[in-house]
Parts: sequence; structure tokens; C-alpha cells
Amino acid sequence: MLYKVLDKDPYKDFIKTLISKYEFIGPKKKDRSVHDFVTIKNISELDTNYMRTTIPPAKKLLFPPDEELVTYEIEKKIEVRPMVESSEKILFGISAWDINGMNFLDRVFTTDFIDENYISKRKKLIVIGMDIEPTETNFSMSMGAEYAKDGFDIYLTELKDKYFIRVATARGNKIVEKYAKIRDASSEDFKKYNKFMDNYRKKFKMSADINSFYYDFESIYDNGDFWKRVAKNCYSCGSCNLVCPTCFCFNVKDDIEINLKSGSKSREWDSCMIPEYGLVAGGHNFRPDKENRLKQRYRCKLKTFLDKFGKYACVGCGRCIEACLAKINIAEDINSVKKEVSV
Amino acid sequence: MSLEVNADSKNTIYTPDVARITRIERLSPTEKVFKIVFDDEEIKNKFEFKPGQFVELTVFGLGEAPFSIISNPKNRDFLKLCIRDVGGVSRALHNMEEGEKVGIRGPFGNGYFPYEKMKNQNVLLIAGGLGLAPLMSLIRYILHYREDYKGIMVIYGAVNPESILFKNEIQYWSNRGDISLCLSVDNPDDKWTGEIGICTKLIPRVIFPPDDTYVAVAGPPAMYKYVVYELEKKKYKPENIFLSLERRMECGVGKCNHCHVGNKLVCVDGPVFSLWEIRNLKEAI
Repeated sequence: MLYKVLDKDPYKDFIKTLISKYEFIGPKKKDRSVHDFVTIKNISELDTNYMRTTIPPAKKLLFPPDEELVTYEIEKKIEVRPMVESSEKILFGISAWDINGMNFLDRVFTTDFIDENYISKRKKLIVIGMDIEPTETNFSMSMGAEYAKDGFDIYLTELKDKYFIRVATARGNKIVEKYAKIRDASSEDFKKYNKFMDNYRKKFKMSADINSFYYDFESIYDNGDFWKRVAKNCYSCGSCNLVCPTCFCFNVKDDIEINLKSGSKSREWDSCMIPEYGLVAGGHNFRPDKENRLKQRYRCKLKTFLDKFGKYACVGCGRCIEACLAKINIAEDINSVKKEVSV
Repeated sequence: MSLEVNADSKNTIYTPDVARITRIERLSPTEKVFKIVFDDEEIKNKFEFKPGQFVELTVFGLGEAPFSIISNPKNRDFLKLCIRDVGGVSRALHNMEEGEKVGIRGPFGNGYFPYEKMKNQNVLLIAGGLGLAPLMSLIRYILHYREDYKGIMVIYGAVNPESILFKNEIQYWSNRGDISLCLSVDNPDDKWTGEIGICTKLIPRVIFPPDDTYVAVAGPPAMYKYVVYELEKKKYKPENIFLSLERRMECGVGKCNHCHVGNKLVCVDGPVFSLWEIRNLKEAI
């Protein structure tokens, strides 16, 4: 990690250069309350002063909702061709919790088997992070995800008169050295940065008492009444999965062209909250009830990957809380588990 | 860092190898056995599997589904799958003919039946319905090296006599005389002379001692709890009891997450687990 600073005046030129040199994906205002990460052609479109995005930016780029994996010709001879896309892009203005969400996906798609479709895109993605204003449902402080330790190339923290820059990769260093008028951070700069972070951390209003969840969950697992209560209003719609930066469940499907001569295999996002998720051929459903499914979602997010990767599959971004029509709140439910167990 | 990996963009984990169906054999009104051979010699020669592993089979243009391999791992020229017609991919397969092409990915599953550890031990195999299919590869292997194993017993339960799978094979087993067979059906017909009722009832009769016995189990999800209950009553060791779990799978390579049971994925950690591994894993059985 290198620590640099960039003054505010040359900052704009730096961004303009990046927009002109790279395919540049950044936040753009979509409507009154929501931003979306899209290709930015002009700096006037870029708005890093955002709070909300519906679809997490890294997931949108690296693990799109529908992705062709393989195509094939099925005439006399069958020919199968893998579809792997990789073009260099800059992802600009992603928040710390969304970087941490991406780091989680990186682990998933490189564990056991290497997912070339994901990783080839990921390797070509230049990630430039920024501190983003948390929404009122953001509890990433509780999940230890309000700060990104790695996963980015460059991370910009906006101080009063300058940007404090963390450079994490050689690739990122090349970019700042070539296109930005930077200098090394002084101890005075570090002081200002630390002060900023102290204040920044005070902005996270929602919290979840996650520390003992790992064991509390085991003891409450078979308490059917509790889970019925928690899942009472769930519509099994899967909105929580769609907006989640770490949800990665997908279906694999084969399609055939109308000429019947070629076809493809692709993946599309699936949701563990919908009834068909656990259905197997022959009609048996391993999770037919919504309380089973919600409990399973919490188990996956807050326990399973603590065993597997040593980290939660939840960064506390709060998107699922805002997306839920039934007002199911994962942070509140974490707290209720604790309360229920300690009574 | 996890990104420092070598990705092979020419042969991704989702790319099936082209193979052809060389033989189709009807086993019962709902099951057929498909013999499958890879087109590419090199792939054919490289393909190795262990009893209990599975493949993802693609019907091009229609879909993909996981099936356990039922042939003897010693036969390296082909693989066989036993497929029940339950719609979707399996229905399409049942409508296919010999000579037609399919796609194969695999073999998958790091959890398989420990045929090496079972050597010099008694082996008890318990199958319910289509559960005989995932056990076939193990049974065939064990019989191939019969002298390496002690007693072998197969307990097999089917709905009715008509739905009994691998009838020729079962006949062959009973002719051999070195393997005990216990067949049971839920709904007998007039000609049925064997056992009646669920196959778990037969477990108390097994005479293999707990100290040198391995157990392999495969069947419908509802069966496991009762089988485990009976096996534990007989004091068989949980680390020597192996169960093949069924879950919905889309990818087979630990990515799509459908087959997860707590911190295990049935596709990469299983599909065969020892009872010890899953006894405290909620929802496993």
C-alpha cells in the first residue's frame, strides 16, 4: 500500500483523463434518490455524491443477471465454444462495503474451481473506491465492512482541500503516477485522514449485534415459532437477493436458436427465497416453507462463510432492508436472535 | 491474493465435452440406462471417476442435469447413467436414440464411497428406489475385487416388483452366492415371494459386527433419518456410514450454491458424506 495525496484542483483533470483513456464506469444520477453505475463519457455525468444504488456496481459488471457461458453449433458436428469476456474497464466511485462484497465474490468464484467467466472480467477491472455517505439502513460498521483493506487498485478519501489516496496495486500506482499530480502523504495528511475516518464512522446509524450470532443461531435453529414470526410477512419475492452485493446463486440454462442450429448455455441469478430453489426432480422440496428459506438465508449470510472463508457473506449495505416490501430487516433480526437467546 | 489464478478461457468449468449415446437399455417403466462414450479419444482416456461421483449431462439446446455414474470405475471406455423419466432433461433423454450426442462435464464430487478403506471389511449397502443407481458403481467395483472384501450385503427396497431396477444384475448377484441380498417391496403382486414393507425394517437382521463394517446408503431424502436410526441402534460407527445426498444442482462445481447444506456443498464436498460429517449439520438428513 502506498499513501499519496492529490490536491482538489488537479483532481478534475485526473478524472477527465481517465474518462478519455479508459472505458469508465461510474455513478450517474438516475432519479431523485437512486444512482446507477453506467459508462461515463463526460465528467458532467459523473456524480460521486450518491447514497443509493439498487444493483451493486461490482456485481453488475462481474456477475451480470444473465450471462452467456457457452455457445454451440448443433448441426452435423457439435461444436462447443466457451464465451469468456475480458476488456479493461475502470470501476470508479465504488463504496468500501461494495468493494468488500466484491472481495467475497472473488473468493466464491476462485474456490474449489476457478470460474473463468467471472475471474477474467475481474482481472481486467481497475477498481477505484471512494467513501460514500451511508444510508440510514447501512450497518456495515457492525459487519466490519465500512473500510476496505484490499480489493481496490486506488482508493480516494475526500478531505477538505485534497484527496487522501491509498494505492494498493502496481497497476493503480502506474495510473496515479502517469495521470495525477500526486505527492507522498505527510504525517499531517495522515492525521487529517484519521480524523476524517473517525467522523465518517459516526455516520453509520444502524447497528447489528453480530458477535455471538454464530452460536446463538445454533440454539435458536429449531425454534419454529421464532422463525415463523421473523418470516411472517415475507412474500418470497427474492428482492433481497437481487440487490445483495454478495448473493451469487444462479441457475444454468440451455437455450436453442429459432433456426435449431445453434444454442447456448447461460446463467441467470436465482433467489434462495423463492419456493422452487430447493426443488429437485421428482417433486421433493428441501425448503418448502418461507421460514425455512429466510432462516437459511441468514445462515448463509452470517454463519456458513464464517466457517468457509472466515468472513460474513453480508457487508451490511442495507440494500435488502430498503428493497423488502415486507419490511424484513436483517440487522433487527440479528438483534432479535440475540435477545431471544439471552432471555 | 485470490486473483492470482490461472484461468483457462478455452476450457471453462461450464464447457461440456461432446459424447454420444452408444446404447440405451430399458430397466423399468420409468428408468433407462444410457451408455455414453466421449467423441474425443484424449478426453475418453483422461476420464476417471470414483464410485459415488456424478456428471452434469447436457441435452444440447434443452438443459443440463446431474446424474450419478453407475458403471464400474475400472471400465475406462464408457460411462453409464441410470435415468428416471421425471420431465425436463430426463424426459428429453428418454426420447433420444442411440447415436445421438450429449454433453458431459465432470466427474464431480470430492466425497465418494471410500472403496479403498472398505477393503478387508464387511460392506453393507442400503438402497431405496432409484438410490440403487449411485450404489451400482461401488457394488460393481467391489465385486470386481471380491476377494479384497469380507461379507457383502445389499438391502434394496422398491415400491413394487415392476419398479425393481437392475433385475439382471440382481439375478447375477444371487447366482454368485458370495453376496447376500435382501429385497423388499412396498406393494407386492401375486408372484412376489420376498420381503414386504420398507427396507429399513431389514437392518436389524444384519449380522455384520460394528467393528469391521462399512455402510453405504442411497435413497429418497425421507429414507435417511430412519436408516440412520436403525444403523445407530446396531452401533455402526458414524465415521463408517456413508450417505449419498441428493440436492438441486445447477453447476456441479461449487458456484451456483443450490446444493448447500450449511457450510457444505453437496456437489464439491459430497455427494457422499460420512454420517460423522453431517450428523450435526442441520437439514442434512
